[in-house]
Amino acid sequence: MKGLIQINSQIGLLALQVEVRFSDEIVVLSGENGAGKTTLLRCLAGLEHAQGELIVDDRVWLDSAAGFVLPTQTRDIGCLWPDAALLPWLTVEKNILLGIDCVDEAWVNRLLEKFEIFALMQRKPEMLSTGEAQRVALVRALCRKPSLLLLDEPFSAQAPAIRQRLRVALKAVQEALKIPVIMISHDVEDAEFLAGQHWRMREGRLLAEVESISMNRKMQS
Amino acid sequence: MIESLYISLQLALVTTLILLLLALPLAYVLAFKTFRGRTALEVIVALPLVLPPTVLGYYVLLLIAPNTAVGRMWQALFDHSLAFSFSGMVIASVIYSLPFAVQPMQQSLRAIPVSWLEMARTQGLNLKQTLLQVMLPAARGGVLVAAALSFAHTMGEFGAVLMVGGSIPGETKVASIALFEFVEMQQGSDAWLLALILLGVSFAMLSVVYAFNRQGPNLGAVK
Repeated sequence: MKGLIQINSQIGLLALQVEVRFSDEIVVLSGENGAGKTTLLRCLAGLEHAQGELIVDDRVWLDSAAGFVLPTQTRDIGCLWPDAALLPWLTVEKNILLGIDCVDEAWVNRLLEKFEIFALMQRKPEMLSTGEAQRVALVRALCRKPSLLLLDEPFSAQAPAIRQRLRVALKAVQEALKIPVIMISHDVEDAEFLAGQHWRMREGRLLAEVESISMNRKMQS
Repeated sequence: MIESLYISLQLALVTTLILLLLALPLAYVLAFKTFRGRTALEVIVALPLVLPPTVLGYYVLLLIAPNTAVGRMWQALFDHSLAFSFSGMVIASVIYSLPFAVQPMQQSLRAIPVSWLEMARTQGLNLKQTLLQVMLPAARGGVLVAAALSFAHTMGEFGAVLMVGGSIPGETKVASIALFEFVEMQQGSDAWLLALILLGVSFAMLSVVYAFNRQGPNLGAVK
């Protein structure tokens, strides 16, 4: 699967200018506050009006020249934002299955186990810690087997002790679904353990030294 | 007296049900959409708050009188006049209580966190699913308040229904008009009892409103 991002847009105060390709691997996106990381993810999700071109899995999501925008609802993405946005009147179970028509129980059970939320299924969100809520929101994004996963600091609320287990889980999920994952993270260990590619952003642009860590690794071994 | 209370109750129930259906799309549009004529629509919806009820009743009467298009059509369809009928009163009440239904719904829809609506989009929920599974449950406090206020407000209506209904006993004479007539005929004890009942209904309805308001505009949205 191949993806292409070509965005040239003024969004609020940010001049976003990004041109990059990606494939079925985990991209770790880092950069200073205000560099445009979250905005870039929101453009991919279709939550911001962006000018340019987006192609994911040979499907056109955005083609400004042709005036085409694929609505967010049909982009088949999984998203995790800093706000877990769990609906407070639904149990965890109903939250993670929101909007899913046919549930793949084996897949869901695997996610519950890997991301350690089996025991939380019947709780309401108000009975969850911030970290638990974040893991629930991550599982919600994954249940529908998206074709692109967008994660905005997915482990920010997690205790250090559980982070490595979650990295392992995320990697396993990515390998099972064979999809591109773009995750914002400032954690060096995330980049070292997960990143097939590492993008650094500054002032709305990707820094030229986009390194392909997988390439380096191959050369080392 | 029982008869007039029964008519009031019926009118309030029918009006509230119609208003819930009518006010929801209006509240949705006013909460989320920007378009030309938005201010005009907001003013029209709010107008019954300040308009003298007799003025409103007068215009409704002009609209539904037997010699108008609406009046003739109704006569042809249902074989009775729309003016001075229960149905005519329903039309006047719906307009009269419209802001009491639209505004609480509009406020509670607007209070839904943007992150919930974006979550609904990224999870692939279509508009119908978003409405039924996210917006309505989130705004159900506002819907309940809208229902309680519409009901209470219609129970207390006087000028507009008198204008349109004409106070026909057993048909369009509602409790508030009956009270006026009791006083006019110097039937003190009847007036006393009916006033007390109407006071009780209003008190109960407002208690519902404040009980839900204490829980915030979004019922269930704890934090």
